[in-house]
Amino acid sequence: MNKTLLCTVAALCLATSAANAEAITVLVEGGGHSLQQAAADAFTKETGIEVNFVEVPYQGVYDKLTAEIASGSSNYDVVTIDVVWNAAFASHVEDLSDLFTDAVKADIPPALVADANVGGKMMGMPAWANAEIVFYRKDLWEDPANQAAFKQQYGYDLAPPATWQQWRDMAKFFTKDGMFGTDVIGATSEEWMAEVLQAGSPGVILDADGKVILDNQAHIDALEFYRAPLCEDKSVPDNALEINWGEAQNLFYQGQTAMMKFWAHAYKMTPEDSKVAGKVGVAPMIGGSAGVAGIPGPWYNVIPSTSQHKDAARQFIAYQIAHNALGIEAPLGLAATNSAYASYMGKPGYEHFGPLLETLSAPATRGRPLNEHYQEIVDEAVMPAFQGALECEDNVASLLQDAAATARDILGQ
Amino acid sequence: MTERRFVLLMLLPAVLFLGFMVAYPVALLVYNSFFDVKLIDPASRVWVGLANYAEVLTSKRMLESAIRTLKYSAFALSFELLFGFGAALLFSAIAKHSHWHRTIFALPLMISPIVAGLLWRFLLVGNIGILNYGLAALGIIHDPGAIKWLSDTDIVIYSVAVADIWLTTSFVALVSYAGLMNIPKDLFEAARIDGASAIKRFWYVTLPMMRPVLAVVVIVRGIDALKTFDLIWIQTQGGPRQSSEVLSMNIYQRMVRYGDLGQASASATLFLVFMIALAGLAYWKIWRTDRG
Repeated sequence: MNKTLLCTVAALCLATSAANAEAITVLVEGGGHSLQQAAADAFTKETGIEVNFVEVPYQGVYDKLTAEIASGSSNYDVVTIDVVWNAAFASHVEDLSDLFTDAVKADIPPALVADANVGGKMMGMPAWANAEIVFYRKDLWEDPANQAAFKQQYGYDLAPPATWQQWRDMAKFFTKDGMFGTDVIGATSEEWMAEVLQAGSPGVILDADGKVILDNQAHIDALEFYRAPLCEDKSVPDNALEINWGEAQNLFYQGQTAMMKFWAHAYKMTPEDSKVAGKVGVAPMIGGSAGVAGIPGPWYNVIPSTSQHKDAARQFIAYQIAHNALGIEAPLGLAATNSAYASYMGKPGYEHFGPLLETLSAPATRGRPLNEHYQEIVDEAVMPAFQGALECEDNVASLLQDAAATARDILGQ
Repeated sequence: MTERRFVLLMLLPAVLFLGFMVAYPVALLVYNSFFDVKLIDPASRVWVGLANYAEVLTSKRMLESAIRTLKYSAFALSFELLFGFGAALLFSAIAKHSHWHRTIFALPLMISPIVAGLLWRFLLVGNIGILNYGLAALGIIHDPGAIKWLSDTDIVIYSVAVADIWLTTSFVALVSYAGLMNIPKDLFEAARIDGASAIKRFWYVTLPMMRPVLAVVVIVRGIDALKTFDLIWIQTQGGPRQSSEVLSMNIYQRMVRYGDLGQASASATLFLVFMIALAGLAYWKIWRTDRG
């Protein structure tokens, strides 16, 4: 009797552990779930390993992973994290160097591969990536009257803006009839950071060695350019400090701005009842003296060191990147590999992929600094200077010098 | 079993619950405040004594956040008291006929602060917000971008408090109304017979009788306003240039965004001590008459 009972218990334990090994849990933010669901379904079909997603709000990903690492417990086998957290979690996740084969590396924009490398460790695999590109009103740009008037006024043809000067000229030109040429986002600084790279800075805020370069000439030039439509040209709404991504998008959709720089995924999300529905054109991010550059917004799949199913997690990540195009049909419609984007190039409704890939792959495109104090530097040093500049009174160079001093203080330099 | 033991036994679950859910976290908070400790790696900690407290108390940003928190709370609380108590007096004046008015007035209470914050953000934001369009249509301002409610550093802390006032005035009104209904009617009759005017009846009967109720409102709403976080965060994230950053936001950023558990704990401990002292003072000042 006892023997039978023991055998039954042992068999149950084995069955349970086998069942556990056949399931992994992925912690992910809402939009990211839909981008990976198709790949997860195909993966389960092929390998038999179940993939369960735990969906949380944006900040919940950071909070839950932090709590898990701090407690040493394990609930998640894969976590999809925003690139800005890479440095903070690098020493608490598995090294995925073996998944970065030459073929994989060749298929991913270099800036995304660089962001995966924290202190020589390939700590995550890009799952999808985004970048800001130019959105403009095709109906306005293609209007012969506008084309003639623009050429007469500025001496060159009206086409989607490609340079800093063109951006300012077109913003000024379309500031008429109750409409602004564009917007200046003052609630967050990422758009300015892209312009810092366009101005030829070797990095944003920090250089490759982690030294503060917040007050170099490229940062100053970029901030002068960034605020010019607000402070000099008056071609944007003057409440820039209230404008965040949501407000910028609303202004464009309501027909109050003629163009905007915005994350590429929005191209597929223009509301049907919007004034601009069917009239939106896209172009690569504008370029400065260093050419086109953007700040990539990739998310990475990482395996926490506490995971109990590291092999299955590794298999899933390898599968997800190999079948990266499966996520494109999801509402956000994003991927990380060149081949995934290439497979949709030319298809109607995916006109934004060309400009997005061009921006992501531009030589000057670079990620935000991989430093564990990044968030603190942005909040304490960058934002006060950035928002101070947008009040149009203070000297940009001295604001950035103060910001650089604060950043050096935070980093103990 | 003696009665005393039975009482202790009945209290035990509550004591255990409070011990685990309140006393332990508070003790841990105070303990962490004496260490240099990172949120992600609490096991590696370095004893720093009172260094975190020294850092917090000498930080200009903390001081500014504290002053801003007081400004925000005083502004929100005074308008909530004014409007809430005023509404309660109106409800009490129309007594039985105020049933629907009270129900409708209480509706904002059902809305979560995040939703209210988002709603007010889109109402207040220039060029898109309805408020400025309304003011422009009425001819009060010349264009919809004229008042920068959420980006003018001089007024933003008061602008974000509007959502708080809108959200919780009804709480003050309902509690005050309940208090007004409990004042014995014979006191008013006696005052009326003695020839007291309406103002005198309000001053010498209503207000003294409402003192304990108002004390509860001031303490509950005051503490609530002092620790406001989500309502402001969703509207401005503390900006622009940290001009709407309150203490709870500062603590959140230090702990969650920067992972500095030690210093965040020191700030939170000081904040806790201050709030306990404030509540004690309010309790002593307003309720002291009850003890004769």
